[in-house]
Amino acid sequence: MLFWITIKSAMKSLWANKLRSLLAMLGIIIGVGAVIAMLALGAGTQAKVIADLDAMGTNLLMVRPAQRSSQGVMQGTQQNLVVEDALALVELPWVDMVTPVVGGNVQAKYMNHNTYTNLQGTSSLYFTIRNFPIEKGRGFTEEEEERWSRVAVLGPTTATDLFGPNNPLGETIKINGFNYKIIGIMKAKGDQGWYNPDDQIIIPYTTAMKRLFGLTNLREIDIVANEGVDLSAMSGQPQGSMGNQAGASGYYHDVPPGEDTVAGLMRKRHRQQASDPDDVRVMNQADLLARRSQWVTNFRILLGSIAAISLLVGGIGIMNIMLVTVTERTREIGTRKAIGAKGRDILLQFLVEALVMSGLGGALGVLFGVVMALGIPWVPWFSDFAPPLLQAWVMVMAVSVACGVGIFFGLYPAYRASRLDPIEALRYE
Amino acid sequence: MLQNSSLLWATDLVKTYVMGENVVRALDGVSLSIEEGEMVAIRGPSGSGKSTLMNVLGCLDRPTTGQYVLAGEDVGRMNDNQQAYVRNRRIGFVFQTFNLLPRMNAVENVELPLLYAGQRNAKRHAMEALVQVGLGDRSDHLPNQLSGGQKQRVAIARAIVTDPAIVLADEPTGALDTRTGNDILSLFKSLNKQGRTIIIVTHDLKVAEHCQREIYIRDGKIALSDDHVAVPRLPPPLPNRQVTKTHE
Repeated sequence: MLFWITIKSAMKSLWANKLRSLLAMLGIIIGVGAVIAMLALGAGTQAKVIADLDAMGTNLLMVRPAQRSSQGVMQGTQQNLVVEDALALVELPWVDMVTPVVGGNVQAKYMNHNTYTNLQGTSSLYFTIRNFPIEKGRGFTEEEEERWSRVAVLGPTTATDLFGPNNPLGETIKINGFNYKIIGIMKAKGDQGWYNPDDQIIIPYTTAMKRLFGLTNLREIDIVANEGVDLSAMSGQPQGSMGNQAGASGYYHDVPPGEDTVAGLMRKRHRQQASDPDDVRVMNQADLLARRSQWVTNFRILLGSIAAISLLVGGIGIMNIMLVTVTERTREIGTRKAIGAKGRDILLQFLVEALVMSGLGGALGVLFGVVMALGIPWVPWFSDFAPPLLQAWVMVMAVSVACGVGIFFGLYPAYRASRLDPIEALRYE
Repeated sequence: MLQNSSLLWATDLVKTYVMGENVVRALDGVSLSIEEGEMVAIRGPSGSGKSTLMNVLGCLDRPTTGQYVLAGEDVGRMNDNQQAYVRNRRIGFVFQTFNLLPRMNAVENVELPLLYAGQRNAKRHAMEALVQVGLGDRSDHLPNQLSGGQKQRVAIARAIVTDPAIVLADEPTGALDTRTGNDILSLFKSLNKQGRTIIIVTHDLKVAEHCQREIYIRDGKIALSDDHVAVPRLPPPLPNRQVTKTHE
């Protein structure tokens, strides 16, 4: 009974000083808002990283040519990966599957429908390696690879772009002006952020190299290791280092890698000297994703520190305003004591007021955080953020922490109020 | 229980303060007794010690030495919480400046002591008290919507709502014009007729004349006890061990 009346009177007193209360609550609002937004974005990114890991397959190593550099100046990607490199990699004992990849952007046409999209030339293993299930029709066969057949598998988005609701299977499309027969449609995977696997055309690498692009070198070789193989060790390059990121030039070794590693085998096949840098980059998908995940963690720690500081400042703000309030209401405290309030009644009254202020600040902060979390993906700079994941427990926790801050910083002002001498307090002007 | 039948009695109250190097004796051996149903004025010039006496009688302060018994309890030696309890149940305060809480309406102000007492039906009792002071129709008004006289009536309702042993009024007409002041004094007199014990602390002889008895205090001593109705009986001093403590 008294408790509810205390809360009601605390609300009244906050409402009587609306602006002041709001300013005092601002620190808490920002702090809690930051926590909510941070955890929502973090959880969203984490969920996406896990989904990506599942989609990629975690035993995947990708080999790409390194950048050529001369005295520190980048001079474009080297053209050094060939089909024979892929065949040599298959012979390594720890390797399960290998597929060469070439690619480029092409103009595809069916009747009067046009689309400009990405084309991958690869082997039939690619669908297994990259975990691209065929939904309708089939993938291409080894025979079709050997015969440079003009057959194509479409991503679902590409299929819809060209055929609308019609069934593309068995139809013929023109790719850069030549006829290709549609033999399969892939299952939709969803946009991965940096590329959309649903919008692509996949044809045999032989066809792509000999007929379509006229190429002799590969863009990439994908390797799937046997289960339980240490991918970082077998890549022959330190993984997770800056030297291995996209666009980097070759890696210099102090001790050349063994010939059973990817880098070692490539150095041998490409006749690199011991002092030369690697002319290929070996990327480990799991490591790339882990690094992204690490980045998310750092981001969370940063925002978490901001939130902690903000909550601290918010708490001090509440303490400051509570001290002012206690001074302002000295006569009221005297009156309450004269009519029978005990020290603990006064303590409770001001503690509840601090609690209501911080709790309300926490609730507004949750609102602010939700708006922020939902709004951030709309900001152009942050458009590649994963969709935020709002969790109820985070909000409950944030409001509880805010209340805790309110109690902690409200304790001293409330204690001072409770210790006021009633005679002095009644006489206070 | 006490053998003395007076509602309130005090023996040889002394209150000293240390101010710098000097020891000030604000109360210098005050003995008095007040009977149930009396209306008494405590009068004195400023600096006479009447405020100190009021604080001691109101359990806001403790005497340095001496004994003070209210409604059969030795209240002069209680700790803070016990004193708060006595102020809540046995004493109703009326202040010169009303001291209503500004954000609460009349009835909420009046029920506040009952809430601290943990009493049920606080609202109903508060309404009854407001009706008793003639403000039954102003219960939802905020203090700043009331005139000075009305505010003091609300304050009086707050003082009597707990049915206290004494109502202790500190210059209750000091902030009011003469006519309103007289109305308030009439209200005190009518409450007194219904059996309330009322103590008015004032410097104003005209206010004191409304009371049955006046205790005049000067330099911390009772200078004159002008008996309008009956001679006050000073109680015989009692040893402390005969006093029963009943609370906490």
